[in-house]
Amino acid sequence: MNRINCVFVALWGLLPLLASAQKDCHATLFGTVTEAETGEPVPFAEVFVVQTGQGAVTDDKGRFAFTELCEGPLTVTCDHLGCSHLSKEIYLVGEMRLAFSLEHSSTNLAEITVHAKALVLPSSQAERSLSGSKLDAAKGQTMGDLLKNLPGVTTLNTGSGIAKPVIRGMHSNRVLMLNNGVRQEGQQWGTDHAPEIDPYIADKVSVVYGANSVRYGADAMGGVVVVEPRALRSEPGMGGEVNLAAFGNGRVGVASAMLDGNSKLKTQHSNLAYRLQGTIKRGGDVRTPGYFLENTGVKEINYSAAIGLQRERWTSEVFFSQFFTDIGIFRGAHIGNLTDLQNAIERGRPLEDGAFSYDLNRPLQRVAHYLLKAKTTIKTGTSGKLSLQYARQFNRRGEFDAHKRFGTLPTELEEPQMLFEITTHTLDMAWEHKSWRHFTGSIGGQVLAQRNTTDRGGLIPDFDSQTAGIFWIERWRKHPFPVELEAGARYDVRRMNIGNRGNEPIDKQLDFNNLSGTFGSILKIGDHFETRLHLGSAWRSPGVNELYSDGVHHGSASYEKGREDLIPERAITTNLTFDYDNQRDFSTNFSFYRNTVRDFIFLEPQANPVLTIRGAFPSFAYQQTDARLNGLDWTAEWKALKMLAFSSSASILRAWNKKADDWLVLMPADRFRFGLSYLPKAKNDSQTPFAKLSMEHVLEQTRVPVGQDFAPPPGAFTLFNFEAGTSFAIGGNGQHNDTARPVGPGQTLFLILSVQNIFNTAYRDYLNRLRYFSDEAGRNVSVRLKYSF
Amino acid sequence: MKKFKIIFAMLALGAFLFTACDKDDDHNQDEQELITTVKLTFTEVGGGSTTFTVKDLDGDGGNPPVADEIKLKANTAYTIGVAFLDESKAGHAHDLTEEVKTEADEHLVCFSTTGGLSAPVIGDQDGNGKPLGLESAITTGEAATGNLKVSLKHLPNKSATDPCATGETDVEVTFPVTVE
Repeated sequence: MNRINCVFVALWGLLPLLASAQKDCHATLFGTVTEAETGEPVPFAEVFVVQTGQGAVTDDKGRFAFTELCEGPLTVTCDHLGCSHLSKEIYLVGEMRLAFSLEHSSTNLAEITVHAKALVLPSSQAERSLSGSKLDAAKGQTMGDLLKNLPGVTTLNTGSGIAKPVIRGMHSNRVLMLNNGVRQEGQQWGTDHAPEIDPYIADKVSVVYGANSVRYGADAMGGVVVVEPRALRSEPGMGGEVNLAAFGNGRVGVASAMLDGNSKLKTQHSNLAYRLQGTIKRGGDVRTPGYFLENTGVKEINYSAAIGLQRERWTSEVFFSQFFTDIGIFRGAHIGNLTDLQNAIERGRPLEDGAFSYDLNRPLQRVAHYLLKAKTTIKTGTSGKLSLQYARQFNRRGEFDAHKRFGTLPTELEEPQMLFEITTHTLDMAWEHKSWRHFTGSIGGQVLAQRNTTDRGGLIPDFDSQTAGIFWIERWRKHPFPVELEAGARYDVRRMNIGNRGNEPIDKQLDFNNLSGTFGSILKIGDHFETRLHLGSAWRSPGVNELYSDGVHHGSASYEKGREDLIPERAITTNLTFDYDNQRDFSTNFSFYRNTVRDFIFLEPQANPVLTIRGAFPSFAYQQTDARLNGLDWTAEWKALKMLAFSSSASILRAWNKKADDWLVLMPADRFRFGLSYLPKAKNDSQTPFAKLSMEHVLEQTRVPVGQDFAPPPGAFTLFNFEAGTSFAIGGNGQHNDTARPVGPGQTLFLILSVQNIFNTAYRDYLNRLRYFSDEAGRNVSVRLKYSF
Repeated sequence: MKKFKIIFAMLALGAFLFTACDKDDDHNQDEQELITTVKLTFTEVGGGSTTFTVKDLDGDGGNPPVADEIKLKANTAYTIGVAFLDESKAGHAHDLTEEVKTEADEHLVCFSTTGGLSAPVIGDQDGNGKPLGLESAITTGEAATGNLKVSLKHLPNKSATDPCATGETDVEVTFPVTVE
């Protein structure tokens, strides 16, 4: 999680705490003893902490717990009839879970495995993540399409190549993306500007639902997408992985490789860790059930490098990544005015069937994103750790129109009609303190400075902006008391200096400030049931496009006019989540939310069209209203039989414009998913075969404001998908764990075959901006191969 | 509160220093060619000629385009010449008709009428023998009033049943017409 901060604040606020938190004896150690072969709990095993002489006997579920332990090195032993004495050295910090796994094999009584890991506190906010094989099975697609696998997440598409995540109805500037701990800063405001992140860099992708500016800063109105790369190796050695993927539709090929290593340096207690990663992707024209979509290919080249120095008291890491992409925009969707759009809608399909081609021509987007990050974490005695992070990002977006109005086009793509360049510096500082009187928390600050220039096109003005914020979050947790509480506050200031729009000077200075708060609680009832209540607030200052755009938006054949006097939006989300997991065969999660946004900025249709030499364009102006987004996300999994599991998930949303007393435009329709998985028993542990058939049903969006769209929302559709895969160990004792990464020496091969849209159904999605012109992509057969070593 | 102010002053200073390091990118505002004026020249067969224009000198937004009223004689044959001009820079009118002519196969001028006016018939052709529309002819009927819509299509499918429903529209203007 991104802790964002400033040293002044940390020192000023926490000197008294530092002094009093010298020796922390509120640490908790708990865990289970199980039988390795069957996974059955082992009751009446004796667990001892050698240093303190404390002992415990596991209960009928194989559980044990120690509270009020002092932090530091400990030796924990486990004894049970029929096993030899087991012992594990750990360094106890905060709260840790320890798992003893006893092997009762007749040939080797003594063989055991012990795992200890620091417990990551569950968020009091609704959060879902994708990692391991589920993430592997989704890679190769765009980041947006990958995120769609999580409940409550849909995408706002421009054709098939550009997908922006929509979290519970919010997108663009209202969704914050944290890439490797850094706020992703590009031209997020554009509905056709996809996130510039390589999915293959991610080891885990999470979505945090609802407003929370306290932890993440401004703009986290609808939610936050957190992309985490694999942590640098902490043990000496070398490893890596190679990913290959091929997709039938669009004839897309992807190759990605990663190499990481760690070596002990001669200097005492210090390690050098590194990681290199790169991805190449190439695809051609996408095929719908009836025709090819001309010029919908993609080209992508990304790479990253990270190097870290790990010492006992501190670790430092430098990370650098580059992302380059060329994305073709469907040629048939290029229009000149409203009549052209109406002609296209009337036609119902592109003029020509087209033929497959890898050629990338205008219209096209060419985007480059560079990220440089340096982070240092220092242990501040036994009381906590201080982290300091600096990042610089540069984003260049070129948009190549279909044609220059006159004159022959250069054959090479060299002159974009629009060129945006944005440079962002962020400085984060946070001090995280360990459990002190059952409180854990962090305090910190963030500074952000940004400069944006629009070199061509003059769609939005140049600007620079500075933002600064401080926060403090505390969490109270007393194991095994069933209630946990969390509260925090943040204050942000932001200044924007607006320069020229095209050649027209605007020269305005805008100041915004905001106080946000968060409150969360977790209540555990028994071992299986947990409920979480979270109240979060967030703010967002109006975007430069909302303030100053003034012109025809070609993609949507409309005239958009900004408003200079817009004030920041403020959101308050109430989220109530219920989790039930019987840890055997059934688990479910219900998340109810209500997100109220004051001064919600939206495009309001105007009575009179704007007349131009190209004809009349419907006119829209940015306006503010109060909005209310209510909804429910649910997921459920039921392992009905030993080898058969059912799953289901749904996302339901009602978005209301309070002032206009009408629905909000462009909100995702309700969707439901059902899955049937077959999990046969493998011959050995290293194989994890699975097959899954799933169905997705999306309703027609009927809750739309009347008369504000060029065509009514498309009808409901049902899609069927299939996925099957397995992993193999090659040599060594490759064990398969959650992240498909082998433990110890050995290699794993992970193979996934999938078919999307099995029946080649022709359908259109309301949230695709090109739905006026063509159907969505047809059947897509793909193969993914992952080799880890 | 005072402490907060001091902190913010320091943060703001930090932010300023960051920004100050950035070089000011030079602006290369690409001046795109723009059609501001559509000029129709009606020439009476064996007689004189009159021109009518639609102008939108300030581009999209701002003031709407201003159209002349076309006045024609009843039961008379005319030829129509179409011209496209960029007059956005005062004193530097730029004629873009030649460029349309150079890329004749990529362009098509379309006409449509209302109010019982007869439609102009395209007289010129591109290199492939397909209609272009920069030159056309019209024969008026009895006295009437109506509208004449003139549009310029880029990359139309000239083989389509209705070529004017294809391609991208570069220009679409409407003249009020009176035949007297």
